[in-house]
Amino acid sequence: MTVSAIEFSRLGPPKLHLFAMKCEKCKELSPWWERSHCYKCGGDTLTEFELGGKGEITNYTVVYYPPREFVGMEPYVVGHIAMDEGVNLPAPVMGVDPDNVEVGTRVAATLRRMKLGHEGDIYYSYKFVVDDDPAPKKKAPARKPAARKPAARTAAARKK
Amino acid sequence: MRVGVLGIGKTPHKIQHDKSLKDLAVEAGRKAMNDAGVAPSDIQMLYVGNVGSVGFNYENSTGLMVAHHLGVVPAGAVRVEAACGTGAWALHLGCVAIASGLYDTVMVLGCEKMNDLATVEGTSIIAQAADSKEEYFSGLTFPSGTALTARKYMQTYGVTEEDLAHTSVKNHYYGAQNPSAHLRFECTVEEVMKSAKVADPLKLYEVCPMTDAASAIVLCRPEILEAQQNKPQVFVTATSMGSGTWYQASDTLEDAYNLFARPAARAYEMAGLSAKDIDVAEIYNSFAIQEPLGIEGLGFAKKGDGWKGAKDGSTWLDGKIAVNPSGGLLCKGHPLGATGATQAVDIIEQLQGIAPPGMQRKDAAIGISACRGGPGSVGAIHIYQREG
Repeated sequence: MTVSAIEFSRLGPPKLHLFAMKCEKCKELSPWWERSHCYKCGGDTLTEFELGGKGEITNYTVVYYPPREFVGMEPYVVGHIAMDEGVNLPAPVMGVDPDNVEVGTRVAATLRRMKLGHEGDIYYSYKFVVDDDPAPKKKAPARKPAARKPAARTAAARKK
Repeated sequence: MRVGVLGIGKTPHKIQHDKSLKDLAVEAGRKAMNDAGVAPSDIQMLYVGNVGSVGFNYENSTGLMVAHHLGVVPAGAVRVEAACGTGAWALHLGCVAIASGLYDTVMVLGCEKMNDLATVEGTSIIAQAADSKEEYFSGLTFPSGTALTARKYMQTYGVTEEDLAHTSVKNHYYGAQNPSAHLRFECTVEEVMKSAKVADPLKLYEVCPMTDAASAIVLCRPEILEAQQNKPQVFVTATSMGSGTWYQASDTLEDAYNLFARPAARAYEMAGLSAKDIDVAEIYNSFAIQEPLGIEGLGFAKKGDGWKGAKDGSTWLDGKIAVNPSGGLLCKGHPLGATGATQAVDIIEQLQGIAPPGMQRKDAAIGISACRGGPGSVGAIHIYQREG
């Protein structure tokens, strides 16, 4: 698979900062790629919702036979991270022993090199590292959105 | 719905460097036509299930290619694709074609030649049947995505890896006896546990191999089969397809359950049957965990209990219901586009009473095949009945 520069300009931004998509109808948070349709209620307007970058491992696997672009990194841990805001994201978890991953470990997002493309182009994206901060007391505190204005990136706006 | 099964054919399931995709398809197609006693000119429509010839073999329009080499010209021919549910989808279209009344005799054929490429290249092509831009960008693969499902299952129901290993033991017991199977050896729980890790908690003996194979079925109007009473009277009596989710990591166990439960409910209604009527089942298990999930989705066990049958014997050949007496995909291998058709051929052999020794369910009269594909994207159920 080769990803063109055009594709990267489309898919790059979500991988370089962390947000979820919020359904305007049912308020459900979905991963960033659910731009057109809420899988829970069927709502068709989803807006960017900035994430604080912290969460915990709820599920994980250790990949021993990687796809082409990840060869050489194995074995690596891919966790399913429940973000504190309530959305789940799959992402690599760094700095944990593949034989001793613990569900419930607190993790924080960090920007890292993800893989090398066909032509040696470097893809960056979020990975997670173990976080020493305790879990937030209240579940799902809506973090203040960052200064960045998300208004223009709704599904509706894209259609225009 | 009632569609007659006029003939079946399949190639061995293994690595076949000496045969091309075309050779495999022709071999299975000819076997099915010989079994049916029809000539290529009798076939009025050809549905060819194939997933990845564009990537695996640098060939496209597989349906048209197979039509030419089988001599099924000038009948219509088309390639069907729906991830690992492809072969079952071809069968669905064949059944619909007959049931609509438009055609008398059609052929359904599934074929895949995966071993033209190295494993890492093949894995990358298979990964295209899931999301390769977003979810799989994080380094997930089909095995590791399913590994997440396996751990969800273990967490939710308090099941251990040893518990799940029994599924592989059962499949390999029968796979060892299946002359068409790719992997033919028996194994113990300890051997499953000690086999190499592929995607924790999935181990090598819980993962299917990449296989080259083709399978074909000739379907006909029921009257045509009824007029030939010397032939086994096996009919497809339900065909039901469904779609599901496109992302595996975010799938819940409920999603995985529903992928089979929803189309199965429609299929049981269509055939006027329920889960307890089924004698023998072929359930998709490219990864061992999918068998217990399938057993539960089809209503053969309560949620969380699907793994128990392999341990207590109730899903073995002489149990309450025989699940995967062929050895399942774990032993037959998983030639993507062929798999759904192979499952159908295996069940039809059961109902015709011609399954290989050690695999034949005694007096099998009602069978079901359940195929799935994509991260959690396609569920395909067919029910077959022997009459008389």
